[in-house]
Amino acid sequence: MIIPLLKVTNLSKSYDNIVGCKNISMSLYPGEVLGIVGESGSGKTTLINCLSGNLEPDRGKIIFNINNKETDFLNISESEKRKFIRTDLAFVHQNPRDGLRLNVSAGGNIGEKLMSVGYRHYGNIRSLATKWVNKVEIDKSRIDDLPITFSGGMLQRLQIAKNLITSPNVIFMDEPTGGLDVSVQARVLDLIRSLVNELNLTVIIVSHDLAVIRLLADKMIVMKNGTVIESGLSDQVLEDPQQEYTQLLVSSVLQV
Amino acid sequence: MRKTNNVIKIKDFKVDKGLPFDQEYNFAYLDENTKKMIRRAIIKALCIPGYQVPFASREMPMPYGWGTGGVQVTASCLTKRDTLKIIDQGADDTTNAVSIRNFFKKTSNIKTTEITEKATLIQTRHRIPETPLKKKQIFVYQVPIPEPLAFLEPKVSETIKMHSLSEYGAMHVKLYEDISKNGHIETAYAYPVKTNDRYIMDPSPIPKFDNPKMNNSPAIQLFGAGREQRIYAIPPYTKVKSLDFEDYPFDPFKAEHACDICGSKNTYLDEIIVDDAGNKSFICSDTDFCNKRKNK
Repeated sequence: MIIPLLKVTNLSKSYDNIVGCKNISMSLYPGEVLGIVGESGSGKTTLINCLSGNLEPDRGKIIFNINNKETDFLNISESEKRKFIRTDLAFVHQNPRDGLRLNVSAGGNIGEKLMSVGYRHYGNIRSLATKWVNKVEIDKSRIDDLPITFSGGMLQRLQIAKNLITSPNVIFMDEPTGGLDVSVQARVLDLIRSLVNELNLTVIIVSHDLAVIRLLADKMIVMKNGTVIESGLSDQVLEDPQQEYTQLLVSSVLQV
Repeated sequence: MRKTNNVIKIKDFKVDKGLPFDQEYNFAYLDENTKKMIRRAIIKALCIPGYQVPFASREMPMPYGWGTGGVQVTASCLTKRDTLKIIDQGADDTTNAVSIRNFFKKTSNIKTTEITEKATLIQTRHRIPETPLKKKQIFVYQVPIPEPLAFLEPKVSETIKMHSLSEYGAMHVKLYEDISKNGHIETAYAYPVKTNDRYIMDPSPIPKFDNPKMNNSPAIQLFGAGREQRIYAIPPYTKVKSLDFEDYPFDPFKAEHACDICGSKNTYLDEIIVDDAGNKSFICSDTDFCNKRKNK
């Protein structure tokens, strides 16, 4: 039997009287891409922030099981938690400016992740950074340029490189193609898909764009008002939605 | 109103006389309760080498950036038996040094000196003297920005967390940037160090040439940042290591010249433009050391 990499039980988080997410239970298996969809305010971001350690949930359990080592994410000390986040998790923000240091060169941004897990050899850091800049299809002559000189799509690819360089076990992506125009979106999605296949990544991806989910996700959950209303294989959910809201969501996608 | 005729004549000192001793002030300007508060911060700082201890910094009769932190630390450590030396960029006769020395003469009537060996307390801006510091000396640094992580992380709440959890990986980003831009570590002053294998510390804007002098020094080293309200310290005989990469080791750079006045080849030099044609002269920044060598 395969043990889930991440097991969430009855997770709840509210902001005063406003429900963020309520009684969420789910599991994620190694190499799986899980899509979370729902309208604005449905609790997608609250959920992903709780799972990635950016937010403290009110109730529930989050258990990571990495290399047969169980981590009770909500019951470890802060230093252990930050170390775990640093080494085992990664977070790709919707706005790449939130995940990058704009006054530090592209190479420095990618290298920071390595240095934070203990790399102290400039040559090694440099060659790994160059390799990853190449991998996300940024010309390696741009490695010493500041991110402010990059286009939106390049920034997002740089952010992805920064997050993947330390081979994290779970990658969270919050609307990774949100602020990009359609052709750039396609390129970034293509890149994410090829990296997912090549490196066998485990990803939780939040999006309101069903096309993104259809392209990337193996499984998906649909959220509304802070709860999960439908979940399953993404093809199944998208082809044969059971809930009224999911049906509405699927049918409201523009057919070109 | 202050009486101006109540002035005690002071004996001739070797250096300039400055203002006469003014008895209306408490000894060394600060009141005793303030000194007590600052001494407590200093003791805590000495117990946790490199850790920045907050303290209730006072308004001093000089602008921020002129050494208000250093002056408060000096005032709190000063006793009537002390001999004080003040240096600014290595020199005893520059504005900052002269004004602070006069300040302490006026408010405490203690002996002052320019000779490093004779001083029991030395306050400095931007240099460590060439003459090695010794046991029972207290060495006070003026610090503008005590937080070495400030350029990476503007939130103080976050830098405090980074210190407490030893999350220092990002500290090397600055050095990485230097090498990728210039081929070597360009940071020449305020070069970050790790104190006692624990806290990353800003050694104040001393040239990196002086960094090795902090390591295992027999003197007590105290750092005062007035505007930022922080005191930190290196107790005697403490390991202080400058950050570097395995393949780019720390290099205490100095200008490739000898001093044009005393001929010293292994001291830190100031570069001075001497005429309109752009001709340069290199001289020791430590005036006391240079004078002694020249007169030998």
